[in-house]
Order: sequence, then structure tokens, then C-alpha cells
Amino acid sequence: MNLLHYTPGSSFLHRLNPITKLALAFFYGVACILCDSVLGEVGFILLMLAISAAAGLGARALRLTRTLAILGLFMFVLQLLFVRDGSPLLVIGNLCVFTSGGLKSALLLSLRVIATMLPLMMLFAITQMNDLCNALVKQAHLPYRYAFIVTTAFRFVPLFTTEFREIEDAQRARGVEFETKNLIKKIQLAAPLCVPLLVSSLKKVDASAISAEMRGFSRRNRTSGFKEYPLGARDALAMAFVAVLIGISAIFL
Amino acid sequence: MIEINDVTFNYKNSAEPALKNLSLSIREGEFVGIIGTSGAGKTTLTFLLNGIIPHEFQGDFYGSVRVNGLDTVDNPPEAFCLTVGEVFQDIDSQMVASVVEDEILFGLENFGVPHDEIEQKLQKVLRELGIENLRTREIASLSGGQKQKVAIASILALEPRLIVLDEPTGELDPQSSREIYELLRRLNREKGITIVVVEQKIMLLCEYVSRLVVFHKGELVLDSLPRDVVSHTKLLKELGINLPRVSELAGRLMADGLYAGQTPLTVEEARAMVEEVLIRGRDGKI
Amino acid sequence: MAEMVKFDHVAFGYAPGAETIRDLSFTIEKGDFVALIGANGAGKSTISRLCNGLLRPTAGRVTLCGQDTLTTPTSRLARSVGFLFQNPDRQICENTVRDEIAFSMKAQGWPQAKIEERIASALDTFHLQGDWFPFERSRGERQRIALAGVLVCEPELLILDEPTTGLDYLECIGIMDYVKTLNEEKGVTVLMVSHDMELVQSYARRVFVLNDGRLLGDGPVNTIMKNTALLGQARVLPAQIPALALCFDERFADVYTVDDMEAVLKGGHPL
Repeated sequence: MNLLHYTPGSSFLHRLNPITKLALAFFYGVACILCDSVLGEVGFILLMLAISAAAGLGARALRLTRTLAILGLFMFVLQLLFVRDGSPLLVIGNLCVFTSGGLKSALLLSLRVIATMLPLMMLFAITQMNDLCNALVKQAHLPYRYAFIVTTAFRFVPLFTTEFREIEDAQRARGVEFETKNLIKKIQLAAPLCVPLLVSSLKKVDASAISAEMRGFSRRNRTSGFKEYPLGARDALAMAFVAVLIGISAIFL
Repeated sequence: MIEINDVTFNYKNSAEPALKNLSLSIREGEFVGIIGTSGAGKTTLTFLLNGIIPHEFQGDFYGSVRVNGLDTVDNPPEAFCLTVGEVFQDIDSQMVASVVEDEILFGLENFGVPHDEIEQKLQKVLRELGIENLRTREIASLSGGQKQKVAIASILALEPRLIVLDEPTGELDPQSSREIYELLRRLNREKGITIVVVEQKIMLLCEYVSRLVVFHKGELVLDSLPRDVVSHTKLLKELGINLPRVSELAGRLMADGLYAGQTPLTVEEARAMVEEVLIRGRDGKI
Repeated sequence: MAEMVKFDHVAFGYAPGAETIRDLSFTIEKGDFVALIGANGAGKSTISRLCNGLLRPTAGRVTLCGQDTLTTPTSRLARSVGFLFQNPDRQICENTVRDEIAFSMKAQGWPQAKIEERIASALDTFHLQGDWFPFERSRGERQRIALAGVLVCEPELLILDEPTTGLDYLECIGIMDYVKTLNEEKGVTVLMVSHDMELVQSYARRVFVLNDGRLLGDGPVNTIMKNTALLGQARVLPAQIPALALCFDERFADVYTVDDMEAVLKGGHPL
């Protein structure tokens, strides 16, 4: 299951204006960055999980958190080994492995990464890229060309995932051993996968450009979009909520 | 409707021209099938009909192509895309949206169809192709046959007079292939839309098209009714073009002097042929 | 005869409760030429991928030359199975035809001298040139390059997944004739997935008819092609000549090809 995939629904979150959703995810992230307390970050993660659950996306948010936790763990280890503030906590022989300051900052940073990324990733679950781009073109006056590049990139993700899987199958069927645990070997083995993927993506992008051109792509302007994305009370409420979050985070946490 | 006059086209960096001295005219309301081995110039031909060649591909272009009297060299491809719609070979990469309705809206929005007419046009085209139930579906979740219908719908929404399709059934099973051809036949007969289709499956072509054109190495070899084309069994074999087994059988029976009627295309027609041969054989004995 | 592939009450599904293959059992003997037919989504591709361990059964057992695919790594199974995919572009990953053909042998750890020798003979057999840049060749040539890369390892079982999609008739016949020779002369077992009934009629000896993940029929190609009820159930149209022969009396009972039909009709004629 693709982690960036849109999940249809009709919850409060789903019905927000696409631009509001984007702003919401962004400012929620800002609040997490402003927060300087470990407990605060944990709170933000729990709040996001609760909000997602209310929109019927609890399981999805949990899975995302688990994936982000891997990234968090990586940051945690780096910080732990490189930040040398405070008193030594673990010493082996003459070597100080990590310090109290290192532990605190590692914990804070890794949680902050998870808390900041989670709402941005959840954005994809509740927003059709097409809607987001159309709204950005209509209301934020983003040039359509850029919006189109972004939507196309996202549309190609599932296509390339399938393509990648089939290429991998083709190589496995030829006796390439992907089951190895050796990381360097794994990277070496990935090389034969990249060439066919690159070749097919170049072909696809070309075909896509011609097809869009033949359906009047270059004539499109800001007012072409048929769907309207009005801003309403719902959007104001959501923005007020995130403003309060930023306030709490900046002042108290 | 389309006048191709003595066209030779050579892609940049290619030794052999993809099309050589091609002259071909397509009349309003025809259902034309194009067949030929790979490298015969079929896909190049489809690019010729709407100005993609010479505008989007570099190469040497000689001769002239006119679409409803407009020369494709003097006018940008945009001038033709409302008259000639093209469904490309790769179903997935020609899509521009991730949801069916957005895909169909794309062209309508771009060409500035008034917003109060868009909804109605959208519904009409969905109804015509029998895909109303797919309107809000993700394109990635559709079957090959459904995707092909969406691709046709997104072109049909612009109300072209000619639709060009490049191997529309390449990855479909026989049943969905037939569905696509039934659909094309309906568009051709009921709405008078001219259809040009490149296809490898000769049996489908024979059953549906009104005119069959055979290409070989960039040149037009045969251009006639399907029945006339398949009666050239020897030539087609030499060119490496498959033909319906029953037509092949007819060719053999004619060579044996057992049959002299018209070449059958389907099993039903072949049944009449075999009956005739059997009756003649029995009468011969008496 | 020894068994090549054995399916024993096999089920497969991407998610529990959503099986695409259910309780499937059959045996393919060494030297068989089997075609899998059925509509899209009937389970043809799934079965072909279960044979070489690309997919593993969620219930039951698949054995390939006696090796259980659940416990044998795919890379090991690959030594006995060659798999030709519908789209050669997913396989081709080297910059020259020579390296491309060597790829599988290298992945399977063949000695260098043996590799060189086999490349030379493969280039010859498939009318290819070692220094070609594969990505710029035609679709038919790319499919030949892919096939050469698969066959150079001398697999005991060759799986063809819609091998002729996108090819013209000549290219298609070229590939299938070669596969037929391998099957007849070297005893290579062939499992082919195809929608093209004329192709199935011309090349396969045994046919599996699939519908909705179940095996509806399994028999000699000639019997299956005349079982219109069975084919109809699987939403498949029979090949033309067998269908035509069914319209007539017992003189046509053994008619399956254009040659057969011509012979009978000539025989019925006084001349």
C-alpha cells in the first residue's frame, strides 16, 4: 500500500479547501518546530493521530508514524553520538559514548522530525493532487505550468511503483539475488533496476507531454479550471485552531 | 477530410525514411484500419494527421498534408487538435490526471468551453461510452479496457471529427478488445465520426473497418475493402502479415480450383464457402 | 515421465480472503508444451509467477523439479526456469547486447570462458550483433535480445508471458518457431500464457482453461479447441478452423488446421 495515496472520505478534514489543508499541514509543522519540549512533541504526535482517527484515517496515520520512526531513529543515533553537552552518561574505558545533553537533544530532535513530517504526509491522504494544484492556480495565482509538473510527478509515483516491481521481478527471474542482507551488495544490485526504469520514464514523460499538448495544454490559464474551491467558515475554524497551536507552542513549550 | 500528398518523412538521425512518397486521402465518415509489420510507418502516419509531425518531431519532411484544407506545415498542431483527436499507444502515460472526471475535464477546460456547459458535456460523454459509474474513480485502479474508454472519452469530449487510435487493444484481452471496437463502430455509425485505427489484430480489423490499408517499410502497399485486401493471400504472406485462417483457407481452395467466390472473413462466411465446395464436389461425382 | 512443475491444492491472494487462485492442482511433465488461456484476471500471470517463485502460494505447495518454491530462493529456481516477460524493456538493463546476454549467466555465477562461448553462439542463433545498443533497437529485436538472454542459460522450463504482444506476425512466428524447436529437440518444457488462439492452436500440445482463478479444463489442444461450451464459459473465442470444422459432419472430426481442411475438401472432390 502506497503511503502517499489519496484516501477518499467526507470528513471535516476532507471537505476543507485544498489550500487550507496545505496551510494547516505547514503551520502544524511550524508549531512542532517551535516547540522545545519532549513532552510537547509527544503531545503533537498524539494530537495528529487523534485528528487522523477522527477523519477515519487512524490506521494510516499509525503506519506513517511507524515509517517516520525509522527516520527518527536514524536522527536519534546521529545526535546521540555527536552532541557532547552535559555530563557523560555512558563511558566505556576512556571513551565517552554519549552525554546527558546528547540524549535530551537526540530525543527532542527525532520526535520533532516525526511530529513535523506527519501532518505533511497526512496531507496526501486527504487531498487529491489535482484539486490542490487547481486551487493553487485559481486562488494563489500559481502559474499552471508549475502546478502541472507537480501533479504529473505525483501521478507518476504509482505508475513507477508498478513498473519498478515488474522490473525487479524480471531481474529476480534471471537469478539476481535480492534476498541478500549485505547493504553494499543490495545497492549494487539496484543498478540494473535503474536503467530500465529510467528508459521507461523518459518514454512516458515524452508521451505525456505530447498528449497534454494535443489537448490544449498551452492554452490553459488561471480561469480555465471548472471546479471551484470556495473558502468557508470551516476553513477559518481550521486556521484559527492551528494559530492557537502555534501560540501555545511558542509561549508555553 | 485528410489529404496526404506525396509525403516523405525521415526522422532526425535515422538512415531510412519512415514514410516514402505516401499519398492517401481519408474521407469523412470512413472507418480505416492500418496494418503492417513493425517499422512500416504506421505510428508515423498517425502523427502526420494532426501536425505532431513536423511540429513535435524533428526530421526532413517533404510533400504536404491538409486537414480540412488547412496545411499542417503552415499551422500549429493546436489548429488541428479540435478536428483530429489522437489516442496514443501507451494508455498510462497519455493520462494527465489521476481521477477520471479530471482527465475528461482537462481538454474541455483548456479550450475554454463555457463553465455552464461543461457539466452537461462531461455527463454526455460519460453516458455515450457507458462509463458513468467510473466518474470519480482513480484511473490507476481501472482495468485496461476501462482506461482505454477513459482515454477515448477525454478525446471525444472535444467533439473531434476524426479520431486516430494507435494499437488501442494492444494490452487488452479478446473480450475487451471487441468492446472497444463495438464502441468505435457506434461512434462511426451514429455520430459520423471518422475513425483511423492502427492495429495488429487483423481479424478484428476485417470485422469492423470499411477500408483496410497495408503498409510495408514506409510504403503503402494495398488500400481497399478488407475482403479485397485479404484475398491477396500470397502478397500478405510475403510481407509477413497475418491473415484470418479462413481467408488463408480460401486462398488455398482457389489455388486448387475448388472455389471461386468471395474471400470469407469470419467462420460464418467460411461455413458457406465450405458448403459450396462440398456441394460442387458431390455434384461433380454424379 | 518426470514432473517439471506440480501444483498441489495451491491458493494465492494478495490479501487474505481475496484469493485470485483457489485450490489449484495440476502437474506439468518434462517436455510438455502447455498454454494457459482465459480472460484477463483469470489468474494466468499469477500461475506463471507461482512456478518460478516470483510469487509464493498462500496455501498448498508448488514444486519445481522437486524443489518446494516456499523454501527455495527465487535466484536458485531461476537456474532451471527461464521467464520471458511481455515487455522486454523491463528486463534489458545493459548497454550492449553482449553484456545483456551475459547478465543472467553472471548473476548465476557461470565460469567466464563458458559465458564467452555461449554469448557467441547466442548472437549467431538469434541474428544479433554484440555491440548493438539495445534500447534503440525495434520492439521485435528487443524481444529477441530478451529471449536470447533467457535461453542462453539453458533453462529446463521456459515460461512465456504473452510473448508476442507488440510484435508483428513475422517476429512472432520467428520466436515461436524457435521455441518449438527447443521443445521438440532439446525437450525444454514450455508454459505459455496467450490470448491468441491461433498461436495456441499452432504451437501448444496441452491447454489449461482458466476462469476466475480456477482450472475449468485441462486437455490436449485439439480436444479443448472443439469444446466450445468450455471456451465460452472462460470467455474465450475458439480458433477459426476448429470452429469451422465443428459446423460439419464426422469427415471433419480430425480437422484442426488449414492443411487438414484443405486435405479433406480435396479428398471430397472427384479430381
